[in-house]
Amino acid sequence: MQDPRIRLASAALISVAAFISIWGALAVLLWWLLFTPRMRRVKNIRVVTGMLVLIGVIAVLIWISGGDGLSYFLRFGVIVLVGTWLYTEQKPGDFLAVSVWAGKNRWGFELGMIGECAMQIAELLLCDYARIRIAMKLKGEDWGVRTLVPLCLILIHDALMRADEIAELLAVRGYRNGGVCCPVFCTGTLDQVSGICAICVFFFSIVPVSEFFILSM
Amino acid sequence: MKIVLDHLQVQQGEWSLLVNGTFEEGIHLVSGVVGSGKSTLALAMAGIFTPSQGTVKREGIKTLMLSTQFPEFHITRLSIAEECASWGLDYKDVIRSARLKVDGNVSPLSLSRGELKRFHLACILAREYDLLLVDEPFSSLDCIEKELLCRELSTHDSGITIIFTHEQSIFPHVDHLWEIDAGELCALGRLPGALTRWQRAPALIKKLTDLGRCPVNLTPDAIREAACRIHE
Repeated sequence: MQDPRIRLASAALISVAAFISIWGALAVLLWWLLFTPRMRRVKNIRVVTGMLVLIGVIAVLIWISGGDGLSYFLRFGVIVLVGTWLYTEQKPGDFLAVSVWAGKNRWGFELGMIGECAMQIAELLLCDYARIRIAMKLKGEDWGVRTLVPLCLILIHDALMRADEIAELLAVRGYRNGGVCCPVFCTGTLDQVSGICAICVFFFSIVPVSEFFILSM
Repeated sequence: MKIVLDHLQVQQGEWSLLVNGTFEEGIHLVSGVVGSGKSTLALAMAGIFTPSQGTVKREGIKTLMLSTQFPEFHITRLSIAEECASWGLDYKDVIRSARLKVDGNVSPLSLSRGELKRFHLACILAREYDLLLVDEPFSSLDCIEKELLCRELSTHDSGITIIFTHEQSIFPHVDHLWEIDAGELCALGRLPGALTRWQRAPALIKKLTDLGRCPVNLTPDAIREAACRIHE
């Protein structure tokens, strides 16, 4: 999908659709199978698999305690797939372009820049995580609860330090607020079709399934 | 005890590195310009990076340590005392060895880059390893610290110590010299003979070898001695 506006709006709509109902989640899964490259472009498939396994474990626990584990697994599993697709398709500058398009050069620019910084920090967090894994391997340390807490705190510390440095750099370069950006979007036919289908999926999820069928006794 | 690199090849777009060689016990210096592939080679030797082709065989090596260029990459704990404990060391010894004036409760990430480098190197050098890979150990250090580190590294007389650096002025005692040139690792041999074959040798070494006053080693004392011989 080339147009980031349609991509973001579709992701928002289908995420809500998947959360609302199990039928919505199934419709989103179909949408995901039809309109995305699925897992082909995923950079870190182990992270996605890990998240799905975690959701699966929670779903089993819900099922054991008498809840609807299957519904939980389907809905949240599909949301993870949508999030993964959105993250994989995201290119530098997309957030800024969409925000400026929606909110103009003052607030739109600010929000877009925050989004871009957040995406950059998310990428770097993955790098930091990989480096810490290597450092632990070299030290011969094992993973465990005792190591997990300091590692998470180090990752947060690094992210905050980086955010602080970016803020200082922007201030030094004279940034006050807002900016000028002239985004150009390329909207293909597939973008339009998938966008319309995402809207349909959203409405399908909020309208009860029985409304689609004439059920007469 | 040795590490054998058999037709190791790393390909990244237009850039490539070809390595063939055997590193035996002693201190090895791998020299090369920035971007020549020194860090990649160090990671491959440590088994962290998988090359496109070829194999890395570590024979008789039981303990291995890699010190990367960036000391913060090694930090896994929130205080100096805990970080030292994760290395199996007592923080008071490490602080003394690193010449730091800090408390054990201080976060290692609050140290300056130079202090953190000293702290990290002190943790690394406090133990003996069969294979010690040190990537750019002199970065972030001033001349005095570089000399102190060289003295420390020169005392490593057991196991294989491989120093990857583009340093041009201060070196430890080196047994074997290697150079990455034009995408290939070249074995230049033992010192002092290897110095005459060093393509991108530091200007002072080049001048001395051109004048036929080849230093016996790369240590500051050896270079000073060779320089003094010019006026004999």
